[in-house]
Amino acid sequence: MSGGPMVQISIESACEKQVQEVALDGTETYVQPLSMSQNLAKLAQLIDFGQGSASEDEGGEGEARGQEWGKQEQEEDEATVKFQPSLWPWDSVRNNLRSALTEMCVLYDVLSVVKEKKYMTLDPVSQDSTVGKTPPVLQLLGKKKSLATAAQLLLKGAEKLNKSVAENQENRRQRDFNSELLRLRSQWKLRKISDKILGDLSYRSAGSNSLQGRFFPHQGTFEVIKNTDIDLDKKIPEDYCPLDVQIPSDLEGSAYIKVSIQKQAPDIGDLGTINLFRRQLKPKSGTQPWHLKLEAAQNVLLCKEIFAQLSREAVQIKSQIPHIVVKNQIISQPFPGLQLSISLCHSTGDKKNQKSTPDKNKPDDHLYVLEHNLHQLMREFHKQTLSSVVMPHPASAPFGNKRMRLAGPMAYDKAEITSLQQSEGLLEKIIKQAKHIFLRSRTARTIDSLASRIEDPQIQAHWSNINDVYESSVKVLITSQGYEQICKSIQLQLTIGVEQIRVVHRDGRVITLSHQEQELQDFLLSQMSQHQVHAVQQLAKVMGWHVLSFSNHVGLGSVESIGNASAITVASSNGEYSRNGPESGCKVMVQFPRNQCKDLLKSDVIQDNKWNYLRWPHKEVHWSKMEGRNFVYKMELLMAALTPCP
Amino acid sequence: MEAPPVTAMPVTGGSIHMMEYLLQGSVLDQALESLLHRLRGLCDNMEPESFVDHEMVFLLKGQQGSPFILRARHSLDRPAVPWHLRYLGQPEVGDKSRHALVRNCVDVSASHSLHDFLLEMGFRMDHEFVAKGHIFRKGALKVVVFKLFRILLPGNTENTEPLSLSYLVELSVLAPAGQDTVSDDMRNFAEQLKPLVHLDKIDPKRLM
Repeated sequence: MSGGPMVQISIESACEKQVQEVALDGTETYVQPLSMSQNLAKLAQLIDFGQGSASEDEGGEGEARGQEWGKQEQEEDEATVKFQPSLWPWDSVRNNLRSALTEMCVLYDVLSVVKEKKYMTLDPVSQDSTVGKTPPVLQLLGKKKSLATAAQLLLKGAEKLNKSVAENQENRRQRDFNSELLRLRSQWKLRKISDKILGDLSYRSAGSNSLQGRFFPHQGTFEVIKNTDIDLDKKIPEDYCPLDVQIPSDLEGSAYIKVSIQKQAPDIGDLGTINLFRRQLKPKSGTQPWHLKLEAAQNVLLCKEIFAQLSREAVQIKSQIPHIVVKNQIISQPFPGLQLSISLCHSTGDKKNQKSTPDKNKPDDHLYVLEHNLHQLMREFHKQTLSSVVMPHPASAPFGNKRMRLAGPMAYDKAEITSLQQSEGLLEKIIKQAKHIFLRSRTARTIDSLASRIEDPQIQAHWSNINDVYESSVKVLITSQGYEQICKSIQLQLTIGVEQIRVVHRDGRVITLSHQEQELQDFLLSQMSQHQVHAVQQLAKVMGWHVLSFSNHVGLGSVESIGNASAITVASSNGEYSRNGPESGCKVMVQFPRNQCKDLLKSDVIQDNKWNYLRWPHKEVHWSKMEGRNFVYKMELLMAALTPCP
Repeated sequence: MEAPPVTAMPVTGGSIHMMEYLLQGSVLDQALESLLHRLRGLCDNMEPESFVDHEMVFLLKGQQGSPFILRARHSLDRPAVPWHLRYLGQPEVGDKSRHALVRNCVDVSASHSLHDFLLEMGFRMDHEFVAKGHIFRKGALKVVVFKLFRILLPGNTENTEPLSLSYLVELSVLAPAGQDTVSDDMRNFAEQLKPLVHLDKIDPKRLM
């Protein structure tokens, strides 16, 4: 109970007999329980006979008798009552517990009956089967009806949902078309004519107009159509777009311009069949299909324009070797034996004309740089027609070249005017660039092949990073391994132009080489041989030998096929000297003074001892048997060997 | 980058007769901004060019009734550019269906001594004015929007006052004789400017 201290309640069996008296030795005297007659008498006493239909006498008698009984009972009761006041505060608790116990016992009994079924079992109450049983048909009908109503409710709800979803989708599609149209308009030029929406994908507004426009009057209009052939019931495909564009038929597919340099084709009849096509570029995810289509069409248009311009120039411009324009290819010869072909490869998407090439070009035959440059040059042309330089000042003057307008007032003569008018066309520029690229790659190849072939003087090429489209430069160093510090006299700066290579030597000489590969190679070989001799010269300085003579171009000895032989004569401090040799092999001769030669004939001719120190004829050194990694090293060893010890 | 290569014009000797196709209109000062915006959108994509030109009209009175008129114009904001001399003939009285005013036109660039030269030749300066405005182009079409300023003291181009509260709009094309499609293109272009400015062929004879 709340509030008071915790009272521990222990449950024990209710004592059936009340304690009458507790003796001094602890024995308890129980009150004898009332017998049945005594109990009855007690109960009867409680009845008020006086109130009933019975007379007073009887009531009195009864009372008296009852009183007599009652007195006896009362005495006993009083005796029992005396012990009860101590239990009064716990009475309710006791009663509650007793009832709880009763309930528990009953529950336990029921559970044991249910579980064990030993002495008692549960038996269902038998139903009266004859009264109120519905036939199964009616039951079935009843169930069916209830299911039908439930189903109808559900169907109604589903229908409503379906309708709303379909409406949503339709709205979305409608809105999608408009939002797509908005997106299209933000990137492409559109205009509405009557009920059609037309667009312009040409470069006219970017400057393709004026001169070029007259020769390349492609309208470049496309039409925007609503894509309504979609079935609502079927699943909408991933790449569905409510807007579709229709491009002119000749701009379909994709195109690119291929520039390549090949060896001269043996037969001109093979030309014009190039239609190789490379794989389609994967579209970036997120771009609309119409965008890709329009971009591809615009690219085709630009490529066609570039090709038209190039072919026009190829036909009109006079050059020494005429350019050939065959179908979709322009062929020109930048260098003899070499062929530059620019072709327009246009694939319309159907695969049938892809396998038409008889000879397969290597995929990396392209000169991508030139193709890119072509596009750039075309765009430059476009931009130039739009530049503000073209605007006439004063305003009433006609459009035209600003410089030409000056021709009158400044009284230009014909030469000046022709120089003004003459400007290079697209084709000339590309040919120049191609020439330069070819020359540069050939020079690099020559240098590399020499470097790999010849080990003794090493050739190093340092190419400059920043080049022009028409000019590149490379610095070539010829060194000997291990002796780079002392032999750096051969340093060449090559400037590769469009058709020539200009070489600036360290000592100031400027040499112009033509585009022939052999010239460069010969030149480099001769420089290498000269390097050897220069190296000996430097070495002599270091070793303390004297240089007696040095000649870059020696007139004696065998004639060299390329370049000239160079020779050097060095002398040691006490007389031995060696002579180095020509380019077609190094020949080193050593000359000893007379007195050191072993196989000497003693003769009496020599009067004076000083004649013994004259030079004896040369002896050639077996150079190949010399120890040493390269020429300079060997030379150093030789000189070291011949240097007299102090 | 020099000019585009290979001029397409066949020069056969002598001069080609160029005709000027002209449409004129005017807008009030308030409407200028919107007109410029519209032109900027319609014409080629360039930065809008503004100009200040000083034009002098020279007359040569001959024995015939009508005097010979030459217009000499030079730029005030770009003094290094050569002068421009222009002869405009009588408007061709062709069929009425032609939408633009067509007249013969000869354009010559001249050095800075043009003024003195013309005076020496016997021309007399009739009037002069200063034109300030913007110039646009669309292909071969030239659109000029400018305001005329009257010169108060002869020879002094600083002191000017505007002639009116409006801007003159001229749409012109220089083309060789005989090309009538030009006027159709001009009319289509003029249609696009319709609510802002009405460009019409205005016969100067009728104004006199």
